[in-house]
Amino acid sequence: MKRDALVAASFLIAFIFIAYVVTVKNILGLGGEELRPLSEFYLSHAFAHEGLTSHSPEVVTAIVWNYRGFDTLFETFVFFLAIMGALSILRLDREQLEHARELEGSMPHRQMDLIVKATTKLVVVMIIAISASIALHGHLTPGGGFQGGSAMAVAALLLFAAFSKFTLERRGLTLKHTISAYAAGLALILATILAPVVLYGGKVLEINLLPGETGLFNLDVGEYTAVTFGFLTVFLILGIPEWVFKNILRRELND
Amino acid sequence: MIELHLLILVIVVSFGFVFSYLAMKEHDLLKALALSSVQSTFFALGFYILAAPDIVLAYLAIAVGAYTALVILAISKTERYEVGE
Repeated sequence: MKRDALVAASFLIAFIFIAYVVTVKNILGLGGEELRPLSEFYLSHAFAHEGLTSHSPEVVTAIVWNYRGFDTLFETFVFFLAIMGALSILRLDREQLEHARELEGSMPHRQMDLIVKATTKLVVVMIIAISASIALHGHLTPGGGFQGGSAMAVAALLLFAAFSKFTLERRGLTLKHTISAYAAGLALILATILAPVVLYGGKVLEINLLPGETGLFNLDVGEYTAVTFGFLTVFLILGIPEWVFKNILRRELND
Repeated sequence: MIELHLLILVIVVSFGFVFSYLAMKEHDLLKALALSSVQSTFFALGFYILAAPDIVLAYLAIAVGAYTALVILAISKTERYEVGE
């Protein structure tokens, strides 16, 4: 216990020393008020009326989806691969899914308190509104598709916790629907990055050819849908209780 | 001289470090998860002071919401208490 406290204190002192040296003594040369040429380019071009502009006062979104668009595109693909990996490890065919739903339905249904349910309903509506404003205003204010999408996934998680996964699946939030919506989001992203090539003869992801901020807006909406339903897909498949999985596997072995 | 926001940044991130250390030493995994989300809240404050609101929005939603839920699901498939040593 004494050793733990010592280790913790020495880490803290080391951290504060490094923070002091980097910020006040400026040993790495990161401080200073002057702009570097690259940031000057971004600041002057992101919301200009001509040249390599992306028609967006939000420079971060402009960098993320336009100037460094391929980074974000491949990030989206990495996310896609992660979700496909989770799905292929934990996949169930149609019959097994039916069986899993039956088993979950037969579980003793424990109701949450009325207060918890009512509060969750209110909070979920607020989170959905905020996540929509984060994502749909992503080209005007801080935020964007990924941020809004993850906030939306949190709202769905609150519903899972307060009302159980089974209730939501009965209301129509099934694996089939979430995967379809995920595919729709990815399709919107792909359509937007290919639109400049098809319509204007530009390059892939040259979205400043599109009228106004359509390019950034479409990419934000696509990412919003993709991230929301991608997370939901993973949570739906991971939320199946372990004993249901074991039951299904045992049945597969007996067949 | 030291500016005020840098001082607040140091304090906030030190609190984050303290909570991450507590999370590492905790043997009850659910408690460790709660401590780690407190730590992420402090780090999110740090990002806000560093003028990176885009990161704050993503970091809070992921670290406090999605990550916690994923780890709770993972814990529900194993055991709650870390044993050994």
